[in-house]
Amino acid sequence: MFAPALRRWIPLALLFLLALGLRTYELDRRPLHADEANQAVKTGELVEHGRYAFDPRDHHGPTLYYAALPLAWLRGETTLAALSETTIRLVPALAGTCGVLLLFFFARPLGFGSAFLAAALMAVAPASVYYSRYFIQETLLVTFALAAALATQRWWQNARPAWALAAGAALGLMQATKASAPVLVVCALAAGLLVTRRRPASPRLGRDLALIFGTALGVAALFYSSFGTHAAGLRDAVATYTFTSERATGESGHEKPWWYYATLFIWEKNGGLVFQQLAFSTLALTGALLAYVTRQKFLGIAAVYTLLVFIALSLPPYKTPWHAVHLVPGLAVLAAGTLALIRWRTLAVIATASLLFLQLTQTQLVAFLRAADARNPYAYVHSSPDVLKIRALATAALTVRPAGTIRIISEEYWPIPWYLRALPEGCVGYWARPPADCDGALIVASAAQAPAVRSRLHGDYRETFLGLRPGFLCVVFTPAPPAP
Amino acid sequence: MNRSLLLALLALTGAAQAADSVPLQIELPKPLFAGTPRPISLPNLEKPRTGKRPDLMVAAGTVNLSKGKTVTSSDSLPVIGELTFITDGDKSGTDGTYVELGPTPQWIQIDLGAPAKVAAVAIWHFHSQARVYHDVVVQVSDDATFKTGVTTIFNNDDDDSSKLGKGKDQAYIENYEGKLLEGKGATGRYVRLSSNGNTSDELNHYCEVEVHGSLVK
Repeated sequence: MFAPALRRWIPLALLFLLALGLRTYELDRRPLHADEANQAVKTGELVEHGRYAFDPRDHHGPTLYYAALPLAWLRGETTLAALSETTIRLVPALAGTCGVLLLFFFARPLGFGSAFLAAALMAVAPASVYYSRYFIQETLLVTFALAAALATQRWWQNARPAWALAAGAALGLMQATKASAPVLVVCALAAGLLVTRRRPASPRLGRDLALIFGTALGVAALFYSSFGTHAAGLRDAVATYTFTSERATGESGHEKPWWYYATLFIWEKNGGLVFQQLAFSTLALTGALLAYVTRQKFLGIAAVYTLLVFIALSLPPYKTPWHAVHLVPGLAVLAAGTLALIRWRTLAVIATASLLFLQLTQTQLVAFLRAADARNPYAYVHSSPDVLKIRALATAALTVRPAGTIRIISEEYWPIPWYLRALPEGCVGYWARPPADCDGALIVASAAQAPAVRSRLHGDYRETFLGLRPGFLCVVFTPAPPAP
Repeated sequence: MNRSLLLALLALTGAAQAADSVPLQIELPKPLFAGTPRPISLPNLEKPRTGKRPDLMVAAGTVNLSKGKTVTSSDSLPVIGELTFITDGDKSGTDGTYVELGPTPQWIQIDLGAPAKVAAVAIWHFHSQARVYHDVVVQVSDDATFKTGVTTIFNNDDDDSSKLGKGKDQAYIENYEGKLLEGKGATGRYVRLSSNGNTSDELNHYCEVEVHGSLVK
């Protein structure tokens, strides 16, 4: 019915649409996490004023912000106020979709069927889908890592300088995305060298390596220097390792046991909800054993790489669930490798369909049904849907008192600044501690600050509650309407 | 003469100042960028205040009328838990002891089996975390559809988002003690409780509800 080429491209196109659909459907439904909101406001400054300066202390690399620029222009959003949740989240969504295709091309040594299956498993993986809908750097890092792996793989085999150049660019983008990029590079190189022990085909190895590292450095420098407008960014790109190592090894508040990432892929019951990927992880583990038994090199590289990344992520006490996305490509390749070894076709089809279905149901649970639920292991320290009410509350308060002030008095207040971004300049203030004058058209105080704020208010105020995130309550003070 | 001149000068200066006066513009602090917030654990199982909760005085012979009674709900098929949990006597709040109803305003209704004079209602929505349930309304009626003869004993829906009328009662933070409401002499066979999500998520939860009172003879 179809030409052989079409028979290959049609499934790939359908896979692309599936990955894209899962990553872009109703992107604005989940409230912004504090980290997303932080970065969204920074992106707004870049979109509106063209300003960006790398912050080495609390933020990762610049690619996320710059990648949002063309999308904002295409969607006609030229100010922070106009910038939308959909636009910013399209950045990881599109990157995540590209990542699925890159995995397919990277895994081609396994054969079309296995490579396709690996890509399909990544397309529907709960962690991959969830963090492709999340405005943070992690999905970009995975995609650039896959691009670097693919380009390096091709250069290793055919020695074309164009692939060396592409590998260098991808490595530079990795570095410009997150300071932890070298960890992934070291793991990948170690896995490749340990399993294949094969030298690159290039007859001019020195030149090619210089090309790769030169390009990588150039690309990273371009981004960290804000394209030549902020030279201090280059210094900060190095300085960030001090803060990163402090965070990774010190008391960050994000300490977790070494097996934390394993639980995300095995089984977790929380508040009546079950989050599990038992079938996926069992097949992946079987794939790792098969790689050892069959000496299949590509599976071996995937197994060693995944194990090394798992160790690298698990050793530091600092752990957050978004790092789990770095384990997905390797696990997907290993699980696909296992399924490919099932000789009985009917059983292989049933097993594959069942696995995809199970993964899709988990993805539906974590990314759509319970996307901001505190029980969802991926919705880490997530904002409550309650916070979405803040914009309506502020607008209503300013309608009654147009010259009034909105005061946010709390030791933590993100993502509120994002939701109040469209209010007139100068009418919203943020305090970590109660100021002397607390009166205003609307005062939002954390539960801890509320007693002090209450004691400094004059006149009658009505009190209600607003949830910033589960367990973090704010008291909303609204001036009582005058008696009729 | 000199004094008059001085007064005139002062008046002129004051007038000039008044004419030039503009509102003082104070620049408000901008939000500071921050790293990933730390996960906090605020189990709300500690006593929220010092001292014992004031006793609620009820008539001798008042009993828990709701224990084991039938519960119905606007969300008849809860995803988590069973409606029977609401009157099973287990108010521990641990996993497997609460029912979770969907988002948007939802109600549960307890059929006491016969008309009763309600002395008090105690509610435990969810108390393993500091949270506040929105638009909590508690009503008593002899009409199972709550269209007639409805007495509202608690309502903190201050903007009438649940369309049950505006209430003036205050919102409260859930804790292990539960919320204890006076029955206000309400009489009826059915007790209905509404809520509209909470500060942590859009869902509605119940660990336990106790309706204390006496059957009307």
